[in-house]
Amino acid sequence: MSSRRSRSRQSGSSRITDEQISDLVSKLQDLLPEARLRSNDRMPSSRVLQETCNYIRSLHREVDDLSERLSELLATSDMSSAQAAIIRSLLM
Amino acid sequence: MDTKSTPPPRPHQIPNPSRPDFLACWAAASPSKPMLAFHFLRALSRIHGVTTVRRRTRTIRRAAYSSMARAASPRRAWSRALLGQARARRSRTLTGRAVLLRRRRITAAAPPQPSSPASRSATIIAARGEISTAAARPLPPRQEGEPPRADALRRLVPGGAGMEYCSLLEETADYLRSLRAQVQLMQGLIDLFSCQ
Repeated sequence: MSSRRSRSRQSGSSRITDEQISDLVSKLQDLLPEARLRSNDRMPSSRVLQETCNYIRSLHREVDDLSERLSELLATSDMSSAQAAIIRSLLM
Repeated sequence: MDTKSTPPPRPHQIPNPSRPDFLACWAAASPSKPMLAFHFLRALSRIHGVTTVRRRTRTIRRAAYSSMARAASPRRAWSRALLGQARARRSRTLTGRAVLLRRRRITAAAPPQPSSPASRSATIIAARGEISTAAARPLPPRQEGEPPRADALRRLVPGGAGMEYCSLLEETADYLRSLRAQVQLMQGLIDLFSCQ
């Protein structure tokens, strides 16, 4: 108890407690794709941050790859008719 | 590349009423799929006459990040940072072109180039949203309890440099959700396109 109080006193102006930070870290852990594989035991926060960085980087790479495929597809197909069909199927 | 099946939708977490409002509003809505689709498709429909595959890829990637930022709530710092980057890129390209035109009028010998190689590489890096091309700000450690890994995270999340550790975690989660929704949307579009 006293250790937590002294820690919050050390952090000075920020009133965020360690509990809130660990809550946020566990929520981040739930977002990771591996959360489904292992049991939802708490990973150390450094591990969560590392996995989050890797996940964000892989998502960036995937966006690059998908935009390349999209640009190739847009070159070949007719935009307007395909677009109408897609909008219809996506929004209904 | 093997086709990726879309992951099943996650059940929404019901915010605990006993927790402070700070956490309750954070566990709120995931990005709206129709808004994401609307912004992205509108950006795609504006692409015409760009012939090179490489330039079209770059335009589509930028459109993906911009539409992701527009579909998100403007409360989000990463959304504002992405839109600010896009705006800066557009104004920088315009000023670059104005400088080139002036130089061309003076010399009248240089071959016409769309953008100088230096600015092009800078825009590519900025488009990735990973490094800020304006004077590289030293990332100050905001709190003592902040782990060293947060430095890499700050560089990855747009606008993450000037945030406190707590807001950084919050923004990261929202950015992750939006990124995932954007990837799902693009994958779905590709599937639809290739079936036609």
